[in-house]
Amino acid sequence: MSLTAWSRRARTPEPVPVRREIAVFEPADLFDIEIKDNPETNPVLCCTGDPAGAAAFNALWLKRIATSGRYAAAVSVRGQGGTPAAAGGPEARAHDVVQAAVTVPRQTVLIGHREGAAWAALAAGRYPAAGLVLVSPLRVPKQLPKPVGEPPVLLVVSESETQSKEVQAVSDEYGITPLTFAGAPDDVFKGATAEGLLDTVLSWLDAQKP
Amino acid sequence: MQEYSSQAAYDRGEAVCVIGAGASGLIAVKNLRENGFEVDCYERDTVLGGLWNPQNQHSPLYPNTHLVTSRSQTEIPDFPMPDDWPDYPSAAQMLEYLTAYAKHFGLSEHIWYGSEISHLEPVEGSRFEVVVKPAAGAAARRLRYGAVIIATGHHWSPNLPSYPGLDDFRGTVLHSSQLKDPSRLRGKHVLVIGGGNSGVDIACEAAVNAASCVHSVRRGSWHLPKYLGGEPADYALARLASRPKYLRRFLTDRILKGPKRLAERMGIEAPGPGPAGEEPVRNGRYLEHVGDGSIKRRGEVARFDGYEVAFADGTEIRPDLVVLATGYQPKIACVAPELLGGTRDEPAPRLFARMFSPKAQTLAVAGLVEPGVGVLPIVHWQTHAISRWLQVRKSDPERAESFKLQVNAESHHDAVEHVDPRRRLVVDAEEYLASLGRIIDTLEQEPAK
Repeated sequence: MSLTAWSRRARTPEPVPVRREIAVFEPADLFDIEIKDNPETNPVLCCTGDPAGAAAFNALWLKRIATSGRYAAAVSVRGQGGTPAAAGGPEARAHDVVQAAVTVPRQTVLIGHREGAAWAALAAGRYPAAGLVLVSPLRVPKQLPKPVGEPPVLLVVSESETQSKEVQAVSDEYGITPLTFAGAPDDVFKGATAEGLLDTVLSWLDAQKP
Repeated sequence: MQEYSSQAAYDRGEAVCVIGAGASGLIAVKNLRENGFEVDCYERDTVLGGLWNPQNQHSPLYPNTHLVTSRSQTEIPDFPMPDDWPDYPSAAQMLEYLTAYAKHFGLSEHIWYGSEISHLEPVEGSRFEVVVKPAAGAAARRLRYGAVIIATGHHWSPNLPSYPGLDDFRGTVLHSSQLKDPSRLRGKHVLVIGGGNSGVDIACEAAVNAASCVHSVRRGSWHLPKYLGGEPADYALARLASRPKYLRRFLTDRILKGPKRLAERMGIEAPGPGPAGEEPVRNGRYLEHVGDGSIKRRGEVARFDGYEVAFADGTEIRPDLVVLATGYQPKIACVAPELLGGTRDEPAPRLFARMFSPKAQTLAVAGLVEPGVGVLPIVHWQTHAISRWLQVRKSDPERAESFKLQVNAESHHDAVEHVDPRRRLVVDAEEYLASLGRIIDTLEQEPAK
């Protein structure tokens, strides 16, 4: 974040605060398996454009991420799931993501799906995320901020999207090549699609730290 | 003790030494880590949070200390405070916030508590040797670092005025930092000396708790309420600063008209041309307490005499308790004043761009400014610039050269020294941030083709 971007933001009214719904799954919550929260790994915070919000990740994602030894959380931004609706566009939703990120015990990886990818990318311009994962980004603003603290960035898209202009623009913006997963971009929360996608994301995350 | 420590200094390579684990120190550690530096942070106390931690034995907190700048203007730019916190968080919340910051970025593992830096000196060109004196037991250790950032703050050394007869005064005299327990005010006749933020805050505490409260101030000051036009005052004024100049003056005068008339009604003269000229006192309750008579304002104290205190205007009172809210003296003890651009006779630091030592490339001071706005964001950008500079210095000689020119140019207008030592650390936030922005741009932007 540049100093100019910060001083501009400090002079615009803050979005109306809302009581955000945050779903958390810690490795300690997995009674059936011996997995400990590994303090060497960074927690993960997910958000999605799906109206279900954090609840969408309850089916499989959070448990699966926790199984890899990571603290897993998901946030419903304003108007999603259990979070009341309030005024504000993508910036206000990015604010919700940042506010959720600072409540996570350690520096967190941001994972955004669909519109959530746009909010996560905006949030990464204000908060030094440990990593930024964009899954099938949708309605991404033309001007994306440079991520604070230069985190590694991953772009994962479904096979059908690889040629889309949106994906091209995002991969050019960060100078990275997208990875692909089999399945529909809107249906990533359970079943084989989710398994494949999570495998890709988690193995990439594990590869980031020596 | 010396004979127990090994004579050879332990070499920490390119690691950076940060002195102090208060707000400024923590931000410095985080930004250095983010830029890939190894960091050792030394804290003389056994807790983090510096002045915000009441467990710190030197803590300057007084009863009911709150931020005088609002949350959005005070939070660290990349780690916002929870948005359901009040506009003006308390000292306890501030400590909670700094603790969360340290935990979130894993800073604690880089902090050595109970370790005071007793001395530091340049060695081998640009490197530094520091002497670490543990609080108890073990002998002093010597270590070498690639760079040193001093983040010790300037609220530790109480500024104690001298008045004739003060030593023989029969009542109790406390500095504001010694007034930890508000019940000490209860039922007493209290005299508060000092018209700064702490004096005004303590006078308000005394107004509701003490039997009577007299407030002695030497000069007029700007009184800003904590809210202006339905918004936190510093936020409202900062928003005006982004307007065009001709409008800014007009709008600022308009928004300040009410508070100004109220202060005049209470017999307070505002000094100088505007709030930019003098650090304003930020307290919304004070003038109302003056208005309802629970705070009586007086001029300067002339002398203490047994149980009595006489003022310059000839009147006398008999206080039980005198609180000296006379502020602090900036003091950096661990380093020779010459290294920070001072002299033996005039030890006040003269730094490049208010942070870089004019004598050593790898010595910097974080947070030694009084910008009249939240200091944490300023320290964030200062330490961001320092970290980038330490990187660029090694890897990019060309950019390092243009940085030096830039910093010299930025420091030029500081050459006109404030004569008043009280105002030596004062900077205009607007100008200083712009200057920091230009320095960071020089360090980061791609060179023009």
